[in-house]
Amino acid sequence: MLLRIEKGSAVPISRQIIGQIAMLCVSGKLKAGERLPSVRELARDLAVNQNTVLRVYERLVADGLLEMRHGQGTFVADGAKSSSLASHRKQLLEELRQLAQQGLSLGLSADQIHELLAKALEQLNKQLQTQT
Amino acid sequence: MNTSSNSAPAIDIQGVHKAFRRNQVLRGMNLQVERGKTFAFLGRNGAGKTTTIQLLLGLLNRDEGAIRVLGHDPEQQPLEVRSNVGYLAEDQTMYGWMKCSDILRFLAPFYPTWDHDLALTYAKEFEVPLQTKIKHLSKGQNVRLGLVLALAHRPELVILDDPALGLDPIMRKQFNRDLITHLQGEGRTIFYSSHLLYEVEPVADEVAILKDGQIVRQAETEQLRADVKQIVLNRQSAALIYEQLSVLDHRPDGDDVAFTVEGAEAALETLQREGAEHRVVDLNLDEIFEAYVTGDSSFSPLTQEVPV
Repeated sequence: MLLRIEKGSAVPISRQIIGQIAMLCVSGKLKAGERLPSVRELARDLAVNQNTVLRVYERLVADGLLEMRHGQGTFVADGAKSSSLASHRKQLLEELRQLAQQGLSLGLSADQIHELLAKALEQLNKQLQTQT
Repeated sequence: MNTSSNSAPAIDIQGVHKAFRRNQVLRGMNLQVERGKTFAFLGRNGAGKTTTIQLLLGLLNRDEGAIRVLGHDPEQQPLEVRSNVGYLAEDQTMYGWMKCSDILRFLAPFYPTWDHDLALTYAKEFEVPLQTKIKHLSKGQNVRLGLVLALAHRPELVILDDPALGLDPIMRKQFNRDLITHLQGEGRTIFYSSHLLYEVEPVADEVAILKDGQIVRQAETEQLRADVKQIVLNRQSAALIYEQLSVLDHRPDGDDVAFTVEGAEAALETLQREGAEHRVVDLNLDEIFEAYVTGDSSFSPLTQEVPV
């Protein structure tokens, strides 16, 4: 499991780790039943406070992405993919909200913002087609 | 994580004043560090971090106030304090002609609880070359030798004065790892000063910011980030609302004013209630630190061009 901590970022470190583990679950790089490094190992690996890593794991357990098996360690939960998708939707909505606000403060109308989003999706579609 | 039965805080500083001749360094400083915490002590150069640390160790005497370290007064009971505290001084100088292995043997008799096997284990893990003379060590090796010497008597509390000073980024990361595995992992209390905030953030449970001889803020690292935000408002709303905000810093920005505030949650509720349009910006620890130590909190709407 390769995680990257960006120091000095405006995103708190715990949120960086949570986001990256959730992303690994969605993309299937972390599979259900897979064992995660222990709190101690991950803390050492990332050079991050053990309590921070512990809180991250607890949070991801509460969100249904991970499960702690007593005495065995921390594992990717069965429904991790859909659970992380749900939490990603929430985050995505927040980011879209901020983008929309930027658009509005630039004086764009709702229709114009929709148009821009449609254009962005169209561009992505084209990229995908040329790749395949 | 700490299982010590003694529930007194690891460090307790109350109303401490300290002056050097006419230079008043500490002015009624208060600080409590719970046991088992990794605590970062932040301030600009010359803010009084080293003075505070020397007071904690009984190397200096305070003018006023009370200090307890692991329940002992460092002025009255310096030996009790020093035998339970590991200390790494800023730019620690050691006898250059000694080999690393010599200084380990040299220091051992000073500490009743010195564990020589542990010292050798740390030396190996920290990759300290035992057969090398101290004067030939690199800066990074020197700091790590200092850490071996600070830890070999199994202190409950470790006080490090700017340990990351002069280390390159790779050494700093390795040093942070050492703190996490060998100290945090064993539930010991770490109190360290630094001015490299982005290095402190991943490691510290809690931070305190020293300014003008007082602690201006003490908080859990993540809590601090959640509590201090920048809020951008237009001038009209700013003039109406600023008195209800706990402002650390403000900057004019065209027709807007950017406030850095404490108590972000309450501030946002106020803005919501007043129906003031605003934008919220997340800050990193450097920006938060800057707001506390150099911020301009004295917003005055009268000097702005508000139409009458």
